[in-house]
Amino acid sequence: MDSKGSSQKAGSRLLLLLVVSNLLLCQGVVSTPVCPNGPGNCQVSLRDLFDRAVMVSHYIHDLSSEMFNEFDKRYAQGKGFITMALNSCHTSSLPTPEDKEQAQQTHHEVLMSLILGLLRSWNDPLYHLVTEVRGMKGAPDAILSRAIEIEEENKRLLEGMEMIFGQVIPGAKETEPYPVWSGLPSLQTKDEDARYSAFYNLLHCLRRDSSKIDTYLKLLNCRIIYNNNC
Amino acid sequence: MFENAASRVVFILLLFLNVSLLNGQSPPEKPKLVKCRSPGKETFTCWWEPGTDGGLPTNYKLTYHQEGETLIHECPDYKTGGPNSCYFSKKHTSIWKMYVITVNAINQMGISSSDPLYVDVTYIVEPEPPANLTLELKHPEDRKPYLWIKWSPPTMTDVKSGWFIIQYEIRLKPEKATDWETHFTPKQTQLKIFNLYPGQKYLVQIRSKPDHGYWSEWSPESSIQIPNDFPVKDTSMWIFVAILSAVICLIMVWAVALKGYSMVTCILPPVPGPKIKGFDVHLLEKGKSEELLRALESHDFPPTSDCEDLLMEFIEVDDCEDQQLMPRPSKEHTEQGVKPMHLDLDSDSGRGSCDSPSLLSEKCDEPQAHPSKFHTPEGPEKLENPETNLTCLQAPQSTSGEGKIPYFLANGPKSSTWPFPQPPSLYSPRYSYHNIADVCELALGMAGTTATSLDQTDQHALKASKTIETGREGKATKQRESEGCSSKPDQDTVWPRPQDKTPLISAKPLEYVEIHKVSQDGVLALFPKQNEKFGAPEASKEYSKVSRVTDSNILVLVPDPQAQNLTLLEEPAKKAPPALP
Repeated sequence: MDSKGSSQKAGSRLLLLLVVSNLLLCQGVVSTPVCPNGPGNCQVSLRDLFDRAVMVSHYIHDLSSEMFNEFDKRYAQGKGFITMALNSCHTSSLPTPEDKEQAQQTHHEVLMSLILGLLRSWNDPLYHLVTEVRGMKGAPDAILSRAIEIEEENKRLLEGMEMIFGQVIPGAKETEPYPVWSGLPSLQTKDEDARYSAFYNLLHCLRRDSSKIDTYLKLLNCRIIYNNNC
Repeated sequence: MFENAASRVVFILLLFLNVSLLNGQSPPEKPKLVKCRSPGKETFTCWWEPGTDGGLPTNYKLTYHQEGETLIHECPDYKTGGPNSCYFSKKHTSIWKMYVITVNAINQMGISSSDPLYVDVTYIVEPEPPANLTLELKHPEDRKPYLWIKWSPPTMTDVKSGWFIIQYEIRLKPEKATDWETHFTPKQTQLKIFNLYPGQKYLVQIRSKPDHGYWSEWSPESSIQIPNDFPVKDTSMWIFVAILSAVICLIMVWAVALKGYSMVTCILPPVPGPKIKGFDVHLLEKGKSEELLRALESHDFPPTSDCEDLLMEFIEVDDCEDQQLMPRPSKEHTEQGVKPMHLDLDSDSGRGSCDSPSLLSEKCDEPQAHPSKFHTPEGPEKLENPETNLTCLQAPQSTSGEGKIPYFLANGPKSSTWPFPQPPSLYSPRYSYHNIADVCELALGMAGTTATSLDQTDQHALKASKTIETGREGKATKQRESEGCSSKPDQDTVWPRPQDKTPLISAKPLEYVEIHKVSQDGVLALFPKQNEKFGAPEASKEYSKVSRVTDSNILVLVPDPQAQNLTLLEEPAKKAPPALP
């Protein structure tokens, strides 16, 4: 009987000890930061989302530049494709700011929806780019591999942007229309020069739009997360 | 007249042209646009290279138009960028838009236009070097001293708002060194350098790079002198490390000294050397292979004539009725409860392989098992069966209908006498040169001999045969013996058990005997084996009469004159094993 009582006491003491230790430990745990724009269910912090998005957009732009330079070096020397590439981007209808002042005056909502529009409008062309580059005779792996990578990263960035958008502007509708690409026939023409010119245009536009996305995101990151104090 | 006027005009014109050419005046050469650069993604500047001016004052005019516009503009600022440049201010700069720029060289003689340059400001970003590079030697009290390098972002870059993302690279070296030590820092505008050599003058440079664009130029060199008394290393840590390692070494030495060998053996167990009985490694080292092999041999092996003597001496023929077994300590136990005959490896008894008669007699110990179930084995070829473990079994096997053989076989795996189920190679090393048949024959023959040829005059010793060809005889011998055993109850013939050494059978060559026949009334008639060496066979004498039984239980047989004549008549020259009923 005595032993039973003592064992019970020991058990209760142990329980108390566990409870106290748990409480202490819980106090020491760093809680995830609350969403800066109000209470919401933030599972990943906005800072982390932006960090990630900036990394991906930077990477996409690097890849696009390299891909364009490769193509230019290999297929476009002395052909004067650049003259045909003016005004050839399917996303030129989007009202994107074109200098720092304009960008700084654009509200982050607008900027975000512009980014989303750009990302969405590139889903289809990237898919066809991969298919057509594969079919291109003597397609160097440098171009094809980058095209495949960009297509993947684009989807990833779109997902991340949608999450950011949901957090920064909760309850906003994302039904903005985005420009549709219709350049597939020109990618598939029999005329080699015309086809290469079409590729040149597409890669040129991709490089530009990826630069836009990258710049806007970095701007937004500094504005929202760092309060214009990068 | 007119012709004269026309030719005069032409002449004057040509003269004029000639004069002007002689003066060196010509339209300007096509200028060339070299590069355009934007230091902060907000403005940009273009530079061109003029060609030859053709000897006349030439003006350069830069014109451009933007992508998507048709309006042609002229350069807003020729001055800011220096000679042969055009500076585009903020309000004239758009990002993500192509500029088509052309430079025209104009002089009196003509205009030359350069090739158009297509410029997108996004891809021509090259910042200035970082500004305000400061060097400072810091000496905190409780920490290591260091060189603190600070700088500020280059001009015209808006880093705070995030419009311009920048990275830095710092390099430094002692003044007289050749290689630079480079450090890369993303974003931050300060750096701490720790391991510096005292008494040296260090040179420091820095440059910057945008996230997408070109590296800037290196900043001008900044220098700093490290004083001679600059404490470079924190020696206290190294002293501590040295003391600790010394202590550890001392502990290890002490442990080794104390434990010594046991520890060494614990860590490095000695490699077990080969252990072969009788194997002397030293002999091997000396190279005396014969001695070595001799040492490997067992002293009883191979069986020499001595062995034969021994074999003879220790032939034990059991009394079939008597269940008396060899009074030897049996270390093994068979299922049938029959004590196996041990092959005594250690002693010189010679009983081992020569135990076969005792085994045979064991078989005979159970007479109820094989009275007249004795029948011919299938054929002589069985004897030549290389599986010699069968040969000895021929006779017993035929009577093993009730499974009495098993005690033979049961002995096999355990007993060391006749390991029948095992191949002969597993047999005792003492007699490994022989197969079991040989030994069987040996023993049987010996047994037969001892049983029969104890007649002083007419003794034929058993010849130790080393070939399997004698298997036939062995079989025959066995048969005879079985016969002898089976007829025993009638005959009441007692197989003697020669336990002691008898001088009778010592040093006599051994021979096989042949069972001639069994007479009507069960008399066993035995023949000595015809020795081929002697050419014509001797007159066959039939040994079928027991003369006496010696003290050592040796049965002495003598020729039976009565039966002899009869057998000779009836079965002349029959030497083959008779077909037994």
